[in-house]
Amino acid sequence: MGRFNQSKQKSIPAVNTSALPDIIFMLLFFFMVATTMKEVNLQVDIEKPTADQAVALEDKDNIDFLYIGFPTNAEHGTEPRIQLDDMLINDYHAIQEWKRSSIPQGRSILEVPTSFKVHKDVGMRTVSLAKEELREIDALKIIYSADKTE
Amino acid sequence: MARREVGEINAGSMADIAFLLLIFFLVTTTMEVDAGIGRTLPLKRDNVEQEPIDIRERDILEILANSNDQLMVEGKFIELDELEEIVVDFYTANSKGNETDPTMPTYELRTVSSCQVQIANLQTLLESDPDNADLNREKEKWETKLALCEEMPTKAYYEISKMSIIQLKNQANTSYGLYLEVQNILKKVVNDLRVKKCEELGWEDYYELDDKTIDGQEKIAMLRILVPERIVEARIDR
Repeated sequence: MGRFNQSKQKSIPAVNTSALPDIIFMLLFFFMVATTMKEVNLQVDIEKPTADQAVALEDKDNIDFLYIGFPTNAEHGTEPRIQLDDMLINDYHAIQEWKRSSIPQGRSILEVPTSFKVHKDVGMRTVSLAKEELREIDALKIIYSADKTE
Repeated sequence: MARREVGEINAGSMADIAFLLLIFFLVTTTMEVDAGIGRTLPLKRDNVEQEPIDIRERDILEILANSNDQLMVEGKFIELDELEEIVVDFYTANSKGNETDPTMPTYELRTVSSCQVQIANLQTLLESDPDNADLNREKEKWETKLALCEEMPTKAYYEISKMSIIQLKNQANTSYGLYLEVQNILKKVVNDLRVKKCEELGWEDYYELDDKTIDGQEKIAMLRILVPERIVEARIDR
């Protein structure tokens, strides 16, 4: 009969974890490069339209973002609303004040574009009124935000 | 019995696993890139008395998008995919100078001498009023046109009527999605025509033009004259 040698205990060596940091770093770098920072806490639902002629925005720090969409919270109704920074506005004139205060010292209001992020089902009336407010204060550069398609 | 020494676990394939993970993420995730179509709104000029200008029917392309998201161009209902062809036609129908389609904008011939005459005229006007911004802008424009003539192999080119505009009309409930699709088509037509002009002139690719260099700025200014982008939006009543 075969002999069972109880004393012959294989010792399991420790798993070599020296490559683990590399993996973690790799993941970290990946997410750092691939993701974009969340700009604001959106209180409106925005499903952007698509456009094949859209160009990627450069210099995002110098662009103001204006959001128009349907409120996610039913308390705010079902009509399209405009969100500036972190609040929903009731009065279109608030856009003028918001835009003026966002211009850094020494820069002209003409140079700083406003990006419109608008849900594709929103009626043009809201968009048009918002644009008129910006025109009042010569903030003429507009970017219609869209998802790029080929 | 001799004790068998168990060697270290081979960790050499760890790197492969990590690469596999990396590739998996690269393939499955979409990176959200902020993109958009840039436009400049017309300047508001309340204090300036607008002189009534004689606008000819043929110089205007009217695109109406109604509350039911239907498109109407020059009074006829059309489908969205027909729009591109209509806009291209608007830009190019008479672009060889001869009257091919009397309902589309005319083209005028610009030559080196005609540009020089205009610049000289503006120069005399500027002598009495050197700080007039409109006159200065006008003069700059004609200088660009003169440079454009020089670029041309024939030393002349045809320019679309300066009254030619595309008029976009929307209604209160026209969806933003449709509006953007129309804007996208207008942009596409202009981009495609400019690409073609760049090829004709033997320049680099239109999308490669760099507006940070003087050479690039000049070329872009010339392309703006050759294929202008004049879009007027009617106001929506409250």
